[in-house]
This record gives sequence, C-alpha cells and structure tokens, in this order.
Amino acid sequence: MADKLTRTLLTGLWLAGALCVAVDARAYQSEIDATFDAQFYSLQSPYGSPLVQRRRYTQTLALNLYGLDSERKPLGPSLSFKSRLRLDTDFGQRPEERNPDSASYVPGLAEAPLDVMYAYLDGQRYLNGALSFRLGRQYVVDTLGFWSFDGVEVLLDTPAYFAVEVLLGFEQRGGLPMLSSSRFEAGGVSRGDRSGLTVGQSPSYLQESRLAPAYGFALESSGVSFLHSRLSYRKVINRDAVLVSPFLDSSGGLAYARGDRTSSERLGYSLGVNKAELGAALGSLVYDLYNRRVSQYDLVLDWYATGRAVVGAQVGYFLPTFDGDSIFNWFLHRGTTSATLHADLSLLSRVELAASGGVRIFATEGDPTTYARSFTAPDLTQSGRSYDALATLGGRYRFWDGSVALNTLAESGSAGHRYGGDLSLHKQFDGGYYDSLAVLSLYDWEDSLRADRRATSFSYVLGAGVAPSFLTFSRGRLGVEWEHTMNHLVGQRFRMLATLAFSVLR
Amino acid sequence: MSGRVPGGASDGSFWLLALSCLLAFCAAWCSRSPVARADAASPAPSGAPISSASGAAFTAEVLPARLERPPLRESDRPPGAVPDDHGPSLAIFPNQRIPLFFNHRRHVKELGLACTACHEKARTSHAASDSLLPSGARCDGCHGTDHRDLREVRPAASAPQGQCAFCHVGYSSAAGNRVATLLLPKPNLRFDHALHGARHIGCAQCHGAVENLELATRDQMPRMRGCLNCHQAPSPAAGRARSECRTCHLTDPTGRLQTTFSSGTLSPPRWLHDAGHGPDWTLRHQLVAGNDSRFCANCHSPKDCADCHDGRVRPRRVHPNDWLNLHPIASRQNQQNCTSCHREQSFCLSCHQRAGITLSGPFADSAQRGRFHPPKAEWTDGPRTPRHHAWEAERNISACVSCHVEHDCAICHATAARGGRGAGFPAGVGRGTDPHPLGFRSRCASALRQNARPCLVCHAPDDPNLLDCR
Repeated sequence: MADKLTRTLLTGLWLAGALCVAVDARAYQSEIDATFDAQFYSLQSPYGSPLVQRRRYTQTLALNLYGLDSERKPLGPSLSFKSRLRLDTDFGQRPEERNPDSASYVPGLAEAPLDVMYAYLDGQRYLNGALSFRLGRQYVVDTLGFWSFDGVEVLLDTPAYFAVEVLLGFEQRGGLPMLSSSRFEAGGVSRGDRSGLTVGQSPSYLQESRLAPAYGFALESSGVSFLHSRLSYRKVINRDAVLVSPFLDSSGGLAYARGDRTSSERLGYSLGVNKAELGAALGSLVYDLYNRRVSQYDLVLDWYATGRAVVGAQVGYFLPTFDGDSIFNWFLHRGTTSATLHADLSLLSRVELAASGGVRIFATEGDPTTYARSFTAPDLTQSGRSYDALATLGGRYRFWDGSVALNTLAESGSAGHRYGGDLSLHKQFDGGYYDSLAVLSLYDWEDSLRADRRATSFSYVLGAGVAPSFLTFSRGRLGVEWEHTMNHLVGQRFRMLATLAFSVLR
Repeated sequence: MSGRVPGGASDGSFWLLALSCLLAFCAAWCSRSPVARADAASPAPSGAPISSASGAAFTAEVLPARLERPPLRESDRPPGAVPDDHGPSLAIFPNQRIPLFFNHRRHVKELGLACTACHEKARTSHAASDSLLPSGARCDGCHGTDHRDLREVRPAASAPQGQCAFCHVGYSSAAGNRVATLLLPKPNLRFDHALHGARHIGCAQCHGAVENLELATRDQMPRMRGCLNCHQAPSPAAGRARSECRTCHLTDPTGRLQTTFSSGTLSPPRWLHDAGHGPDWTLRHQLVAGNDSRFCANCHSPKDCADCHDGRVRPRRVHPNDWLNLHPIASRQNQQNCTSCHREQSFCLSCHQRAGITLSGPFADSAQRGRFHPPKAEWTDGPRTPRHHAWEAERNISACVSCHVEHDCAICHATAARGGRGAGFPAGVGRGTDPHPLGFRSRCASALRQNARPCLVCHAPDDPNLLDCR
C-alpha cells in the first residue's frame, strides 16, 4: 500500500513540476511529452491453460528543459535536462502471482512498476566545444550494446581529431528501490528483491540490494565525416551476497558468495569508412574479457553501384555471454555465424526495395549425427555444423500522404522454418489530421522440435488516429488499433491497442 | 479477448470471406492513391515522408516554356554533385520557379562581369535566408529599362534587350504589363556568404561553373558532399569549418536538427556513415549507431531509441503480426537480435513461467500439463542423438535461458558434492555430464579469480577440478 502511495505521489509530483515549468515561460525551453498506451490481449499456453490475460496500461511522461545556462547558439555551449518517467502496469496479473506464499508465485513480477527511464543533465560543447558531460541516469549506445547507468559521463574532444570519454557510476538494475528496470543488466541470472522470501524459496532468484559499480572509457575519432572509429571498455561489478548453490550442501546449509565480483567486462572496437562515390566498410568486434572470448564481430562491405543501387555483403558472429554470476557462461561452446548478401534499390523516385539473402551457421563441438555412436569417447574436435537459409525482401512506396510497405522473410533450417510477410498501408487524410493503418500478414511456420506446432497464420490490423492541434499541445495523436490473428493452434486471437501521445514545447 | 476454437477450421469460409473483403477494400484504397498529386510539382505538406533522395518528381524545375535547358556538363555542376542525384535535397533547397531568360555565360564570360556585379549582396550576407538575387534595377544600366518603380516598369525605347519579353518568360504586353512571379523559397540552412567570401572561397567552390550556363537553376545549389570537402574539423579545432551537422543545418528548440520541412523530410544520405534510412534500416542500423551514436543524436532523442529497445508496445517494424506464435522459432533461429532489446531472465522468463512452459514456476508439473520438449528418451537421456538437448544448448543457449533458471541445469550438471548428478554421481543413465566447452581449462583460472560464484554452483570448494583452476 505504502509502495503504491509512493508511486502515486512521485507521479503527481513529477506531473505537477512538469506543468509548472511548462506554464512558466522563461528564457529556456521546456518540453512535456507524454504517451498513454493501453493494450488488451491474451496469451494462451501451448497446453490450453493457463490463459494469461494482459491488461496493460503504460504511461510515460517526459520533462525536458533546454537552454538552461545561456542564450543558445548553434555551435555554442548548451545545458539541458532530459528525463522520462514510466509507469508500466498489467492489470491482468492475478494477486497470487505476486504472493510468495502462493503456489502461483512468479519471482520478480510486479503489477505497476514505476521507473525513471532516463534523467540527466546534458552539457554540450563547453570550452570551445572541447568538453561535454552527462550527469544522471542515461543511455549509452556503442559497440557494447544499448546500456544504461546512473552516474557521470565526460567527453573531452580534442583538436587532434580524437575524443576521450570516461564514464563512472552504477549500472541500472531492477530490484533496487531506485525506480529502475532490469533491462540493462547482463543476462543469465534472475535477480531482484528477495524480501518476503524464505532462504530456500526460489533459490535461483538472486538477491539484488546493493548498487553495482560500473566504469569505462572510450576513445573515438572526431571531426571527419568519412571515417569514424571507437574503442570502448566497460566493467560492471556485482556486490550482493547471493546464494551459491540451489541445493543444500553437505552440512545441510546454503552457501553464499560475497564480496566484489565481476559482472561483465568487455572491450569493443568499431570502425566505419565511407567514400561517397565508392561505398562503405563497417566493422565491429567485441571481446569479453571475463570469458576471454570474442563474443561478437560484424563486417559489412557496401558498394554504391549507382546513385540508386547499393549492393553489399555482411558477415557476423555472435556468442551470447552472461553476467559473471551466471553459470551459463560455462555452457557456451561455439557462436553463430551469419553471412548475407544484400541490395538496396531506389526505383522511380518513391519506390525503394531492399533484399538480402544468406546463410546462418551453427556449430557444435562434436558432430550430432555421429556423436552417439562413440558415446564413451566422442570426438569433440569434430565440429558439427547446421545451416539456416535466410532471406528478406522489403519494399516501400511513398505517396504524398501515405505509404505502402511490404516486409517479407524466409528462414529455414534445422530449427524449423518461418515464411511470410506483412503488407502495410498508411494513409493520412485532411492534411494529416486523420490517419489510418491497415496491415495484412500471412505466415507459415514449423518448429522442428515440436512438429504439432506447425501452422499457417493470417492476421490483419486496422487502425485509425486523429492528430488535432488542440489546447496548447505542440503535437498530439489519439489512435486505436484492432488486431485479429487466426491460426489453427490458438483459433482466433484479438488485441486492442489505444494510444494517446502529446507534447508541449514552449 | 481470446478463445481457442476447436473447430476453427470449420469457420474457414467465414474468414476467407472476411479476408476477401479486406483485400478488396485495401486494393480499392490503394488504387485511389493520388499518383497525380505525387507527381505534381507542389511541395509536400509538413510531415509528408519524402526523403531527401526521393524527390525526382519534384526536381523537374518549372522552366519557362520557350527556354530550353542547355546541355549540362557534369563538370559545371557544384562540387559534390554526382550524375543522377536529382539535384540537392528538396528539404534543404525547395523547388524554385524562375520564369526568366538569363544567360550567365554571356554576362560572365563574354561581358566579363563578376558574380558580385549582380549578386552584390553576397558580399555582406550572413544568413542563407537573405535574397541574393539582383533587383530589376540592377539590369537597367545595361538594358536601358527602368525598374525603379515596380508598379510602373518601363522598357527601353527600342533596343530589343530592353524589352520586357527579352527576360521575362511569357510576357505579353496585352496582359497588363505583368510578368510571371518568381518563386525562390528560402533554403532551410545556415550559411554565411560574407564569411566564406572573406576566406577567399570563390563562388564556384560551392555553386560550380555557373559561368558556363545560361539559366542557373536549383541544381547549382551546393551539395553536402561539397561542403564536407572543407568542413572536416572537430568541434574544438581552430577555425569554424567544423563538421558538426549543426554548423549548417537548422536546429529546433530542443537542439536537435530540424528534419521536417514543408518541402520534404531530411534524412541522411547513404554515403554519410552508410546511414541511408531505407526499408532495411531497422535491420542494419545497429552497426552505424554502435559506431557513432553521437551522429544519430543529431536528429534523435533518447526516446527514439527507448521506444524500441526499452519499449512496452510491440514495434511492428521489428515484430510482425502473430509474433506470439512466431517468436519461439525466431528466438532459436536468430538469437543475435533478441538480446538487443530483451533480457531473458526478466522479460522472457516471468512470462514463460506464467504461461506454464517452464521447468520451474507455478506450472512446473510436467506430468499434469504435458511435456514441452521432445520425449525424455531423446531430449535428456543418453546416448546423445541429434535431437538431444545438448546440441540445442550449444547452438543457442539464449533460447534455453529464456525459460530455464540455473537450478534446472544444475540438477544434472552440478557435481554430486553440490547435490547434482554430475561428477561423483553413480555412473549410468541419469548421470549428468561435463557441460564445459573445449579449451575451458585454459580460461578457468581467470574466471575463478574474477568471480567464483558460478564455479561454486556446481563444484564444492574442495573439488579437485576447482583446485586445478586455482
């Protein structure tokens, strides 16, 4: 109850503050941006029951302030504050699913989590463009992924065509009373607030109560448009005392791991080179220092064959890595390699096509087809490979008040197949005051592990929206969507989505 | 909202009919797409999704009827222009209407006039929005006309070059001494002619060889590629030829680039960071954004990233319809993509537990609910046939982790001393095997030193294997 009260109070304060700032016009610009999404649908278990009802209501509220320090000039320093708060409720949950004493208990489930997606002070181009900083909860996007932390990031740009970036803070994690989400933690472990659980209850749900320090740096090129490279390093540390084994030890007790431990430590490098009349080369590499393995690399070569056509090739490799507390790191064997060719084509002036095709290669230690014959002494150095063929075809036609888009895919291999596509039509009316959406989808799929799950599915979506310039909103849209899916596995399934989005900038 | 229909197939005729109606409706809708309007030379309305590279329908200049465009040599075009580029971005330089006969070659090459003889305001202009076209009065000295009062312009008495129709396309004396309107929209750009002139940057360096042309059109406006010949300096560099986008592009009150104009929408060209936002952009943006996210931040706010990567509403561009049924196969086929937005042990696991498809959780009793995976004899027991779970785990452990907690794996893979069925467990069917990959022993010491917790899940502290790693 107290928790709900706190959330309500915080939301109210946030909204009140935002409105006060928006109403009171100053030299700085203030922006409020809000979204409201209500979704209604159901998830059916492959066994028919349970039927999980999803009654989701998600609200985000952003408050941004621009030009806090001085009169803004395009290339001058600027100070701004950017924040977004999110309330993500699911009224379809049953109360017993959140009750640790119930047989239906699902660890970590919350009915209405409130989180601060980001909230930071953003200083740009101080000291004649040399110094930029961010202070607060912020996203980081680089070769190492999409990540979030609470802390400070300082960027020092030099006249010598490179910049140095340093970050220091705490990884954003769920389970802490910090209005945060678990989205950005390394995977492989289930963590959260264990208060209310007995010691042996849900042993794999690890305690999360202490901040996880994170630090890193980056070196990147700066100032040239035809080349960009970035070297990133990042380390995160676990500090909570967590259960070691889900089983009782020989003395009948449970052991704990304590002290500072590596959660993740990775090094990434990326390089992009462009030549306008010729093409581009993009590459990236991630080395997991904890696992001491290359966890990802990509290389793309694009040739700008004509002003209207680009053809290229891509090779990628991915080996999933997990949090240092996770045992799953030690189950990793070989990564997945994919190789594709792709082409982009602009036809006429408003028609664009993109197609790709290639192969995905899975490798195993030991050949699955011969392994069982030598059960006692299998040859693990004999690599087994399986292949998926994959292809995509996309197209887009834009007319002046709408577009038609086609997205198709075909993937087939040892895991099964997926074939199908979406045909989407967007159209605006009355100069954009009204808009509409229609999507038709047809997919056929087969799961090789469960042959009874093969199906062909047809779906359609109908949607409409209105974007009035009412009240003092700079931008607003109210929309609804109706989605209907049918296949022989689940029969008919429906989903309704209602959205309201608006922003005020003054 | 959902209901399983056992006899769903018997309803097929109804849904076939519904599908037919829907298809017919969509076909009719598409067929009335205003192609004619798309091809018209009118500017797109605000927000209309016209990319900078897709404006050929708009690039046809409205040229005077009797004026033939002289053959244009590529060498006369501005630096950065390439064949078939459809001219500069419409979002930056909207369409113009110049109903004039004018011969630059005659004035510059033959008569020896400098550009600034007519475009004199270029010397002092600090804003791209300044009109640098000479007024009609500028022509009077040579042409013998009188443009001082535009309400009562007087032609020369007899000289043919002083007659209105000599310059003004479509002029007819019978039409009330009126000339066609010249339309020259302001470019959506920052540009300081005076500053560039002071640095001895000649007109041709941006506008190409105008002296070889007759009428100079929108095609002579600068290309970004040409600008970047000089603008290649980092922010703190001396001088002001910085490569930052905002050096030239307009920004909105939030500090980001203004991308929507009445004449089109600004979008990066493919040759800049390989960032063309084509139909496959969703699939390939990862490398571009990972390499230089500050470049993306010129136009995008954190919200744009979060809407998909940390979103709560399924993005249609990423997940097609019926994703709930499609996603199990997709996750096993395409593991690379899932983890860029989803965390297996929070996002995936809790939903799977609620849906009753996990080994742990409220519906863990497989005897009651049925078995999710292939039969135990194939999936978990030895010998390890091609349908054994070990191969699936090796191929794509991420898919396993989206349903299984470590307890599920440790049951068999942990050593007997830790309560599992691995090393130390009596040999035979049901005994777990060593799950470590080849070469693991060479890495285990470092791993153990950095974080002993995962080791201790399966190995007792006095396990000889663990001691070896120490």
